[in-house]
Amino acid sequence: MKDIFHSVKLIEENCKGCTKCMINCPVEAVRVKNSKAVIYTDRCIDCGECIRVCPYNAHVAEKDETFNIENFKVKIAIPSVTLYTQFGDYINPVIINEAVKSLGFDEVYDITYACDIVSEITRKEISKVPKPAISPFCPSIVRLINESYPELMEHVVKVLTPIEVAAYLIRDKYRKLGYNDEEVGVIFLTPCVGWITKIKNTQLDSKSQINGSIAISDVYSKIIKFINKNNKNIDANESASMSCTGLRWATTGGQSFSMHIKEHIEVDGVKNVIRVLDDIEKGKFDDVDFIEAHACTGGCLGGILLVDNPFNAKRIIKKYCVQLNFTNRFNRINEKYQKDFLSDVYTKASKGLRLADDFESAVKKMKYMNEIINLLPGIDCGQCGSPSCKAFAEDVVRGFSTLDECIMLKKGEK
Amino acid sequence: MHDEYIKLHYDVLSGDYIRGGEASSSLKKALMQLGINNSVIRRACVGCYEAEMNIVIHSLGGEIEAVIYKDKIEITAKDRGPGIENINLAMQEGYSTASEEAREMGFGGGMGLPNMKRSSNNFYIESVLGEYTLIKMIINID
Repeated sequence: MKDIFHSVKLIEENCKGCTKCMINCPVEAVRVKNSKAVIYTDRCIDCGECIRVCPYNAHVAEKDETFNIENFKVKIAIPSVTLYTQFGDYINPVIINEAVKSLGFDEVYDITYACDIVSEITRKEISKVPKPAISPFCPSIVRLINESYPELMEHVVKVLTPIEVAAYLIRDKYRKLGYNDEEVGVIFLTPCVGWITKIKNTQLDSKSQINGSIAISDVYSKIIKFINKNNKNIDANESASMSCTGLRWATTGGQSFSMHIKEHIEVDGVKNVIRVLDDIEKGKFDDVDFIEAHACTGGCLGGILLVDNPFNAKRIIKKYCVQLNFTNRFNRINEKYQKDFLSDVYTKASKGLRLADDFESAVKKMKYMNEIINLLPGIDCGQCGSPSCKAFAEDVVRGFSTLDECIMLKKGEK
Repeated sequence: MHDEYIKLHYDVLSGDYIRGGEASSSLKKALMQLGINNSVIRRACVGCYEAEMNIVIHSLGGEIEAVIYKDKIEITAKDRGPGIENINLAMQEGYSTASEEAREMGFGGGMGLPNMKRSSNNFYIESVLGEYTLIKMIINID
């Protein structure tokens, strides 16, 4: 198996081999071998579901340790919009940004500005892909499409995510101030594991200008302590120019709302997204303009690296919208940006589902696989370590499992 | 040449809007496992789904057989049922004889047969009124 970096890691000594992750993995990327979970790295889309369901904290998010913030002359944080929703009430964004600065950053970038730019560009780019256009902003969903629905990749809108646009604008600014790119560290405070992987791998998109990511859950306690200490000292009149349309990007439906797209489908949770993609594949929804799909229930607010309940966080966003009531409007986006903010997301030939390199061998394996399926009881008990009898048959022909691992077949032989 | 192939068979029930579409989903998975290219998968999927839904909507039930060769996919859909009175008319975009029930569910747009024809390199249809409809689609693999 190719060695793709994933941000979902297994702590073997914690794993009891309980099959919970295997059964819940929406893309059947987990097996249990010798009483330990194994992740098939070429299938995993980094949705974080295994972390969410594991009762023994055996699946954890791997930290991005590729960068050392101290190595940069200027250190800039881009907090995910979700960060602002994590403190149970409306908190002046100025104080939250100060709290992030106190972690060792020189500047905290307001990502809602980038969200508004991206909304504006996406609105124009939607018509350049076949209907229905699919949102390119959830990295796990883009990976899911690339692995399991490669023929739908042409529906994915070719626009950079707000995180990358923010990084671009930051780099632009510091270049003008006379800094080299290597001196400027741009770090994303991430709500999910999907972004850790995306930033580290940049598999599907070569334009990433972000140096690394930090999990919001890892810095949460420091941030909340700072807020509690300093919240009273802040001048209420001093307020960040955050936009509420940008903030809404954190929730399912927020993108479509900000882009004023009427005919759209908003869907979250990988299994639900799969149902929608299945239908697009059959030719349905060609009268729909935009599919806004998120891997996590609740959108980015459901990210595994956040602390607060996503549904409560959604309530907080509404409070922000009342307080801020502001949107960045762009009458015209300069042509250079219009061009530079397009992504080069492409279909990377995936071997994920292929049984063999050539047709003849694949046919042979498929025939053998179908014979095995007929032998198996079809009760999907999971005792063999594969999530279903069909998946087991596939694992056998791929050489990952052996037939004698099926306890039901063994019983029958006796 | 064609001794290496995979044959898939699906029974399709009349009026089964919920499960209708399973043949096309499982055909898709098989095509991916065989390493067939993306645009071919898309066309096979759309063609198979339309054929499947035609059986669900119009007939008393039927079956779909898909045979995957190295260079082509043959999808055959045969149903028992009313047959088609005027095939030329039925091939026109927007012409539909779907029931009120089917239309209420968003089907019956009159695009089924035209979409099947568009998705395939060779399209064949025969029908005997009051007996059956048989559709054969051949999709070439580059």
